Amino acid sequence: MTASSRPRDSADRIYFTLVALIGGALMIYFALVPVFGLNVAFHFYLMLWITMASAFNVSSGFSGYLPFGYVAFYGIGAFTTAILVKKVAFPVFLALPFSGAAGLVLALLFAPTLRLSGIYFGIVSLALAGICRLVITNMPEEITGGSFGLQLGSRAHPVQSFYVMMAVMVVALATILWLSRSRLGKALRATRDDADAAEMMGVNVPRVRLYGWMLAAFFPAVCGGVEAWYTNVVDTETAFNTLITAKTVIYAVAGGLGTVTGPIIGAVAMVWLDELIWRQFPLLNLLILGVATVALVLFLPRGIVGSILRRKPQWRRYVP
Amino acid sequence: MELLILNGIVNGLIVGSVYALVGVSLTLLYGVLRVVNFAHGEFVIAGSFFAYVLFTSLNVPPLLALPVATVAFFVAGWGLYYVLIPRLSRSDDPELMSFLMFYGVSITAAALMLLLFEADSRSIDYSFTPISVQVGPIYVSTARLVALAITAAISAALALFLFRTLPGKALRAAIMNPEAIQIVGVDIVRLSAFAFALATALAGVTGVLVALVFPAFNAFSGTEYTIIAFIVVVLGGLGNPVGALLAGVIFGLAEQMATVFLPQAMAQIVGFAILVGTIFLRPSGLLGTSTRK
Amino acid sequence: MSIAIETRDLTKRFGGLVALDSVNLQAAAGETLGIIGVNGAGKTTLMNCICGLYRPDGGDVFISGERVTGQPPHVVAHKGIGRTFQVPRVFRKMSLIDNLLVPVLDHHASDAELTERAEGMLARMQLINLRHNYAEELSGGQQKLLEMARMLMPDPPIVMLDEPFAGVHPVLCKFMIERIEEMSGAGKAVLLISHDLTSIYRLSTRVVALNQGKIIAEGGVGDIRDNPAVIEAYLGT
Repeated sequence: MTASSRPRDSADRIYFTLVALIGGALMIYFALVPVFGLNVAFHFYLMLWITMASAFNVSSGFSGYLPFGYVAFYGIGAFTTAILVKKVAFPVFLALPFSGAAGLVLALLFAPTLRLSGIYFGIVSLALAGICRLVITNMPEEITGGSFGLQLGSRAHPVQSFYVMMAVMVVALATILWLSRSRLGKALRATRDDADAAEMMGVNVPRVRLYGWMLAAFFPAVCGGVEAWYTNVVDTETAFNTLITAKTVIYAVAGGLGTVTGPIIGAVAMVWLDELIWRQFPLLNLLILGVATVALVLFLPRGIVGSILRRKPQWRRYVP
Repeated sequence: MELLILNGIVNGLIVGSVYALVGVSLTLLYGVLRVVNFAHGEFVIAGSFFAYVLFTSLNVPPLLALPVATVAFFVAGWGLYYVLIPRLSRSDDPELMSFLMFYGVSITAAALMLLLFEADSRSIDYSFTPISVQVGPIYVSTARLVALAITAAISAALALFLFRTLPGKALRAAIMNPEAIQIVGVDIVRLSAFAFALATALAGVTGVLVALVFPAFNAFSGTEYTIIAFIVVVLGGLGNPVGALLAGVIFGLAEQMATVFLPQAMAQIVGFAILVGTIFLRPSGLLGTSTRK
Repeated sequence: MSIAIETRDLTKRFGGLVALDSVNLQAAAGETLGIIGVNGAGKTTLMNCICGLYRPDGGDVFISGERVTGQPPHVVAHKGIGRTFQVPRVFRKMSLIDNLLVPVLDHHASDAELTERAEGMLARMQLINLRHNYAEELSGGQQKLLEMARMLMPDPPIVMLDEPFAGVHPVLCKFMIERIEEMSGAGKAVLLISHDLTSIYRLSTRVVALNQGKIIAEGGVGDIRDNPAVIEAYLGT
């Protein structure tokens, strides 16, 4: 029996070497961006999208849902930080965990939707995000700033918020890496593949789904808070913009759902592409995004990493 | 107050009939192809822009734009089908992949319209004579009444088509049992292409009517109509055209009555609330059969 | 011999259709109860009611004397019952090892121990070389073996097999029969649904015949084989 564990150890060794390489490269690269005077804004948003796409992957790739109202978590996080900082004079570092908590609360509120199937879930998710947006827009101006939104005051600190975003990204990626190897991760994937069969095998499907959902809701909420700090302004139009869900979904799909590296690579590729397009043809941004999505679904439905792994299934054990 | 309510009812019927058409086309598409067209709203708004362009550059009145739009959108739909759908049906998870793909199509369509027409609201300055007609104690714009008549006519024609003609019955059969219909020799691909083209044509025509009924539209109005389409389709039962017709009118009435009694902001939430409520309480819709284990 | 599993007056309706009509059966540890009947007789519905996938409309299910009627499937599973499916329901996009780990995720053993046990199980099923492949890459027969291994991982005292031989070629059938004999030999109560009457008669200690939701005959293999009601149900009038 131990003979079979030796190949397993070597597979694990390759796996963790890759993790260390990719993780290390990411961390060192991003840490040095402000130091070497590279475009801080570009890299801030790159980290944001890496985090968003990765967290979304927990809900879609690992759990099998397509929450088309994903932006709701982001928006609630943005507003929580903004309100706490502006109205209650919280320091930002204290407000951010509350943003995360707000995401968790919203996830709990939306938990009954988890028993819905694919399309119904997607549509309800969209509708619930719409309700969130309308509710916040119609809250009294003293709290949420009405149609003008809130400004956080002069607490914007590009470099500080940059490094906080990096910390959030690292924590998110580490958590998702842990999830993919953990028993909860296996339970989630079994539920994704066949929920009834999983339940008959002893998996507490509703509970497992809830845990996955809450994990997927926490990080976009914190992202919303950090971005609010970074840009210094929050309003319902930008915080609940459906384009945020669109980009998250597309970047995650582009890389490949179901692996940890997929969304990272997808986000890097697409954000880089987006920047390139924006520089050359600023008006075509949206169009390229749409066409890219259609092309992705038609020609690369499993994403970059997913398609590679399809060709070389024996590499699956080595790739995080 | 009674006048407001009466107004609400009449407008509810008018708006509801447009919503009904929006829903019928989407439900046909889902019923036959099991495809969730996220871009449906954009197809409708494309119809509105189509009528707008015809009117502003060629002086074509909206009524004439209707048949032109029907043909144009039918052809476009036919082509679009063969570009988009065949690969989809070979994928692992066609329903979810179609969801994603049409998401992309909706973004593309909105982007195209944005490029062509910019973000400004457009409207068609077409007025019938007389501008409004007296219905009992209230006045209704003629354009809206005409639109109501047209939607009634289209719905009747559609019902006739679905229930009396052979291709229509084939469509209904395909909705009920896509496997069986292939066994009896129907070319499911051509039928699906036809269904897609028909749904697109209906969407385009609805768009022309939207331009008549509603004050203005812009490149981003599509999302609104997609959501409306979903609400109507879910309320009426996925794949049920008669259900969609009924649900559209009911939803239109509900929406307009809500604006009478509730503040504007709350009224918008009504639509979302109906959608969420239906999915949880009666997921098979008003006319569907419930299946519970 | 204690009664491991028992149903009393188990009834299940789908709309106007009565799928199970007051079904009473029992199986003890070490027994193999064969369940036969034509398509639509209610055999799979019976298993689905026992494991909690369906909620019965009447009657009760008892596992080791404990009433489990209406409990959710994961609770019932933990009472010590495993099953396979007529059409394999493996976790398609998970490796064979991961498939086997799913039923024991909440066991207190370490990951290494559980993995070793899974590998042992796969070796017994002659699937060890494919252990890192995704389950969807297996043939139909291999998937049935995988299901069997997955079912046995938590070592449940009661196992239910739904048409294990359906669509499986004879050599594999023989292999499966040996594995099933091992199960009852190990003291498990085995419920076995099959159309393959030869295998049923060979493996079962007792047989129960279902028709239109009712038990029309039960007894030893010999009794059932010659039972006129059973013959009529299978061949019609």
